[in-house]
Amino acid sequence: MNVLEHVYTATFAMLGAGVLFTLVRLVRGPSVLDRIICLNALSVLVVSSIAVEVAVRGDTAYIGLMVTIALLGFVGTLTAARFAERRAHDRG
Amino acid sequence: MTAADESGAVRPVEAPADERSWLQRLLGRLPTVVWLTVMWVILWGDPSPGTILAGLLVASLGYSAARLPHLPVRLGFHPIAVLRLASRIGYDLFASSVRVAFHVLWRPERTRGAIVAVPMRTDSDFLLALVSGGLSLVTGSLVIELNRDQGVIYVHGIPVASPEAVEGLRRQVRRTEELIVRAFGNAEDIAEFERAEREYATTTRKETS
Amino acid sequence: MTVADWATAVLLPLGALFALIGTFGLVRFPTLLGRLHAATKPDTVGLVLLLLGAAFQLPDVGSAVPLALVGLFQFLTVPVLAQTIGRVAYSRGESDRAHLVTDELRQALRESRDDGE
Repeated sequence: MNVLEHVYTATFAMLGAGVLFTLVRLVRGPSVLDRIICLNALSVLVVSSIAVEVAVRGDTAYIGLMVTIALLGFVGTLTAARFAERRAHDRG
Repeated sequence: MTAADESGAVRPVEAPADERSWLQRLLGRLPTVVWLTVMWVILWGDPSPGTILAGLLVASLGYSAARLPHLPVRLGFHPIAVLRLASRIGYDLFASSVRVAFHVLWRPERTRGAIVAVPMRTDSDFLLALVSGGLSLVTGSLVIELNRDQGVIYVHGIPVASPEAVEGLRRQVRRTEELIVRAFGNAEDIAEFERAEREYATTTRKETS
Repeated sequence: MTVADWATAVLLPLGALFALIGTFGLVRFPTLLGRLHAATKPDTVGLVLLLLGAAFQLPDVGSAVPLALVGLFQFLTVPVLAQTIGRVAYSRGESDRAHLVTDELRQALRESRDDGE
């Protein structure tokens, strides 16, 4: 089991680095669409991390959480993108 | 574009008179209710009769409260073609992810993209939605716009650096369309597709000779 | 280590690697559409690999079904998001024309405008 523990640590580390990269782009922008993409990427990364947690624990108690976060990420991203479109129309 | 001419372009849609009996309407809605119930049972994680009954109740209530429009979709389903499509999309997804990964690591600032117009050979709304969904799922291609009147889709591809790569992207779009029509189109859709394909072949032959 | 453990040990880091490369591309690509490609799609491949790897650690096949549901949901939502953001980016004029080899949508829009006048 020792190998698997190292695997879990490495996987979490890689996902954490992914979150850091996403935060860099989230801060830098420059477009509001960049930030929307980043928020969606973050929600996918959170769902991925919970998938690893499912593997660590070997039970599916967190599935509801995964579905909820994925759903919120999807609806939130879509709403934000639509909003960005409408603002562009108002300006032009 | 202003809001005024957008609203001016909207034509009132007349609801088609529903001459089907209530039984037919109920049967037409059954698949959605069954699908919602299956999701409910999976999320509940326990297929006991009580869960299934509660799922059916919630699905029917939610469905009637949402007043979703009933779309008559006549689909074909060809298992071998579906398998071919799934393996093709799976392969494309993986291979193009690796290709984009290479460009992330090696000189991303030089990566070029392209937007190409590809005339579609099918005219079914549902199939066109599937085509654009399938293309947008694969790394390296993304449907920007769909011109429904002319049946043309505009696809952004990455990485595309040369005219040959542009043609390659066009071929990939046409191949995905063909696979999807052959997998999910009904007999009518496939016949129409093949007619359009023959027309296309004769016009290009005329142009080249 | 059983066979299932080995499968997990291969699939989890591989999935995380895809997610990592996608987010790295999010930082490195110079254009908005390029970043959109990098952020949405490799993430999806990564998530599917991670879900598959996690499924091997579950006691039975039945409890892995909800994981498949999460993967299916991701497959359904990614095209919708990518297409919506792509269209909005184009209509806002953020398609970075200097990085495009050809732009046939622009040509088509110009032609239809000429016909209208």
